[in-house]
Amino acid sequence: MNAIAGKRQIKFAKSFVVITLRYMLLAAVAYQLLYPVLYMLSMALRKPEEAIDPSVIWVPKSFTFSNFADALRVMDFWDALQNSVLIGVGCGLFDVISCAFVAYGFARFKFPLSGFMFSLVILTLVVPIQTIILPLYADMRYFDAFGLMKLTSSIIGGPESISLIGSYWSFYLPSMFAMGLRAGLFIFIFRQFFKGMPNELEDAAYMDGCGPFKTFFQVMLPNAKNAIITVFLFSFVWHWNEYYMSNLLLGNLKKNFAIAISSLRVDLQSVVNAQTISDPLLVVTRIQAGALLAIVPLLILYFLTQRYFTESIEHVGIK
Amino acid sequence: MFKSLRAMPYTKKKELYGLLFVLPWIIGFILFFIRPLITSIVYSFQNMELTPQGLKGSFIGWENYFYALYKDPNFIREAVNSFVNMLYGVPLILVYSLFIAILIKNKFPGRGFMRAVTFLPVIIGSGVLMQILKEDVFSQGMRGGVESVYLFTGAGISGLLVELGLGAGLIEVFNNVIARIFDLTWRSGVQVLLFLAGLHTIPSYLYEASSLEGARPWEQFWKVTLPMLTPMMLLNVVYTIIDTFTDYGNSVIMMIYNTAFSQIRFGYSSALAWLYCLAIAIFLGLVYLLLKKRIVYMQD
Repeated sequence: MNAIAGKRQIKFAKSFVVITLRYMLLAAVAYQLLYPVLYMLSMALRKPEEAIDPSVIWVPKSFTFSNFADALRVMDFWDALQNSVLIGVGCGLFDVISCAFVAYGFARFKFPLSGFMFSLVILTLVVPIQTIILPLYADMRYFDAFGLMKLTSSIIGGPESISLIGSYWSFYLPSMFAMGLRAGLFIFIFRQFFKGMPNELEDAAYMDGCGPFKTFFQVMLPNAKNAIITVFLFSFVWHWNEYYMSNLLLGNLKKNFAIAISSLRVDLQSVVNAQTISDPLLVVTRIQAGALLAIVPLLILYFLTQRYFTESIEHVGIK
Repeated sequence: MFKSLRAMPYTKKKELYGLLFVLPWIIGFILFFIRPLITSIVYSFQNMELTPQGLKGSFIGWENYFYALYKDPNFIREAVNSFVNMLYGVPLILVYSLFIAILIKNKFPGRGFMRAVTFLPVIIGSGVLMQILKEDVFSQGMRGGVESVYLFTGAGISGLLVELGLGAGLIEVFNNVIARIFDLTWRSGVQVLLFLAGLHTIPSYLYEASSLEGARPWEQFWKVTLPMLTPMMLLNVVYTIIDTFTDYGNSVIMMIYNTAFSQIRFGYSSALAWLYCLAIAIFLGLVYLLLKKRIVYMQD
């Protein structure tokens, strides 16, 4: 009797130690990941004079929202929000549809050169965007639908080329053809996903008289909810944060958050320091406020979809 | 037309359908990738100048490439740096993200919160914002990198290591690892996510069967979890390598961009981009060949 009770106690102590260790570890990870966000929040709520006050730890002495007001004004917040959202949602949707479609072809069909083509998909990922950014800009600046517009203009008149700079279509077009930002990775994700799905599904659909396209849209795609949500979120977030392409393709006409943030320091310095001596400390709190504003929409989206999103990861079902 | 399609043997038809599925990508590949890529090769052999009439180039042969390899004081050094960074980064990121994924896989009170927090880097850990964070937040105390203040300098630990009689090379590796830890956790959001998704797809009957056979959790990890995760592992390795090389803050990427748009040397910038990209492609090809044989698919 005593021996059993002792064993139970040891077991209990053991599991207690394990749980404590686990939570300590988790707390360390959580602190390390939340630190920048908390720091941003703490800085953004301070008065500029308190920015480097060592007696202020986390909680500011006096709260102020003037940092946010300044940042909103300097960043052209609502314009940037509109541009970022339209580009992110549009490209996300186009990416999901086109990449899933293409990836299914790679996952389930063998055709001449399929292996070679797939290695080309990986190649598109490896080539830094800076390699092709300049010719791509020229293509978009004098967009002639790759010869089509020249043809029509010689027959029925009209302009030979249009400029897509500053238009969302310069982002949508590559996405529609599975060539958008990091689309190779999305094809890879979808391909892995479709490869892991059991063949029986398609065989059954084929028995029911579905062609490959019908099978894809009615059987495979609805079952790929997992991958779809993941790819959409990735695409949205990456377009939101992407700087080089948007800086070139939106040009001076429009601004999204990536552009606004990258020039925030300079912009703020010119606005805030206009009538005083240049003081970098004046800008510190306002930069954090601006950075926070730029990720607030992302955070809201994230916390809205988060439960759904983690559930979808967990959803085992057919895969 | 339709008659011949119907008469086509099944395997041929399947090939045709496969091509039809991939067709959008082929079009996109030619229009938005191959065409600009070829143009950029042409640029890299030229001395480009901005004239009032537009961009003009004159052919100068391999001049740009020779300059990059033998004369440019920065390019080779930065490229080697970014390779070294990657060599430290990839294994650490993989181990860390697998560890976290396993930690937050099973149910415990507060798991929802932990998951939300660990995926935070997916949302804000990329691009320009990361740069701002690095400049301001991380420099205040925690950040891995060369010119920053470390949270752990590893000074005390390295003294300990010397006492233990380890070689100088090993100690340096150790110090580099410690200095990078914080930077790396902020770059592992996507990887944790992919591993977690992978963990959840491992069928539970594998665990049940193996525990009936008498396998302990530790053995299950090596014999069931790890092999079943290999497809995700490949994806993660490829992703991490590419992400490290083409990141906004990567010094070579910065250099290529600045050469083109602040120094207006389009030809030279194209040559740099080409050299860099060739190096990455070769490296990735090697990694892929090395890992390809070890991938386990459920179907086979």
